[in-house]
Amino acid sequence: MIAVARKIQLRWVGASAHNRTVMDSPSTTPLPSLQGRRILVVDDDRLNIRILGGILRPEGYVLAEADTGERALEVLAEFKPHLVLLDVMMPGIDGFETCRRIKATYGEASPPVIFITAKTEADDVVEGLEVGAVDYLPKPFKPKEVKARIRSHLQNQYLSEQQQLLVEQLSKANAAKNRFLGMAAHDLRNPLASIRGLAEFLSDGVVGPLNPDQLDLIKTILEASQSMLTMVNELLDVATIESGELKLNLGTADLGKLAAECVSMINMEAAKKETHIVLETPGDPVELTIDAAKMKQVVDNLLSNAVKFSPPGSAIKAIVATTPAGKKCSFSVRDQGPGIPDDERDKLFKDFGRLSIKPTGGEKSTGLGLAICRKIVDAHRGVISAENLPAGGCEFRVTLPSLP
Amino acid sequence: MNFTGMILLVDDEAHIRKFVALILKQLGSPIIVEASNGEEAIEVYRREDPDLVLMDVSMPRMDGIETLKALKAIDPDCAVIMLTSIVNRETIEQALEAGALNYIRKDVPKEEIAKSLAETIDATFDLG
Repeated sequence: MIAVARKIQLRWVGASAHNRTVMDSPSTTPLPSLQGRRILVVDDDRLNIRILGGILRPEGYVLAEADTGERALEVLAEFKPHLVLLDVMMPGIDGFETCRRIKATYGEASPPVIFITAKTEADDVVEGLEVGAVDYLPKPFKPKEVKARIRSHLQNQYLSEQQQLLVEQLSKANAAKNRFLGMAAHDLRNPLASIRGLAEFLSDGVVGPLNPDQLDLIKTILEASQSMLTMVNELLDVATIESGELKLNLGTADLGKLAAECVSMINMEAAKKETHIVLETPGDPVELTIDAAKMKQVVDNLLSNAVKFSPPGSAIKAIVATTPAGKKCSFSVRDQGPGIPDDERDKLFKDFGRLSIKPTGGEKSTGLGLAICRKIVDAHRGVISAENLPAGGCEFRVTLPSLP
Repeated sequence: MNFTGMILLVDDEAHIRKFVALILKQLGSPIIVEASNGEEAIEVYRREDPDLVLMDVSMPRMDGIETLKALKAIDPDCAVIMLTSIVNRETIEQALEAGALNYIRKDVPKEEIAKSLAETIDATFDLG
């Protein structure tokens, strides 16, 4: 009984809270409090400063003043205003020049500048906007107009400040996530590598013969640890690359030879699916300045993807080519898979961008492989692209400049 | 591998020591002594006077580079090859500067570790 009564009461409280929200809703987003925002008023005419002060102080703003452009720059550094009201005609440097100097010194962090113009002459307004002002206030001042314009600019300033703060927080959080990911992957990696290696010793029979059942179990351990290791390596790659630690170790390498090595390795795996990769190279060495180990990772990834997503028994074509002028080299892989669904194209090269299409032999995928490839190719100033072929299948292509 | 001397294997992770020791045995290295941290490595080095030290770079408390410096202080001629997982150039440069002869990656497939161990060790002692 008690439980039921409580439940009713809860519902009632909830319902009332809901009603209150609805009733309060006319003012949609709450205005940020602009009380205490700092405004620097720059005018050689004391009267103007006094009038603006009379209009703005009751709004809760904090004001500072300067009577010349030079003085304004000094006060600005100390006072750090959220907004600057700037007269155009002043002895010494004029308002436009003052504004230019503010922008030159503070760049993106400059407070918004509003010009005070005696006459609403179009030329003045245009030049003011050109030097980076956000608005102008015509003299004589109309208090309501002054209040409204200043409020709206302060609000904009407040919002962009908040936005920047959020972006900073997010990028810090993202960096922390990457560090964590890197640490976790690193600490998982060593034991996994040992599990795989020790299982390999057992399956090789180095430490003594095993019966077929034992061998079967060891093979399972071997495969599982291998696939986990691949995933952890990919996570680690993403974490390293994201944290900006992708450093290319450049050297001269023959793309044709590199591809041939990868193809013969992957063909061993592919043989399990009766799939075969055929490589075409121009014959002459295709020498490039690349990070060979990282480029090998890209080539391996594209080749193993082609095997993964093509049906068993497929013939996959890999091509190394140079443009006639020899300015660019490319590596491409043509698979016999289902191609990339149009509505999923944008996910293809993104982190964890796993598509709806599935490997044909139950292989695993983290959705990180192509994202890593793109980052490596980007670092080489190359381009990676994918295109569905008219005859079916898909072609992945990496184009690299001969000279980076 | 043609090297037949005594190897001191230093790594804080027991599974790595086991794994690398198995590889070394398969390569024909008969005498392996182990240590699980820097302090122990120094103690074992003093007691056994091994011909070669294979040592992990990142270990808790006294890391590989600190230990390497301590070993060099005891015996300027001691031969040390570092074991690393992810190649961090700075750390490797530090190790080489501190007197390590070379480095070997331990986070690659077994065959690769075996190959680089055999090649690097033989080359170090000019046995290749």
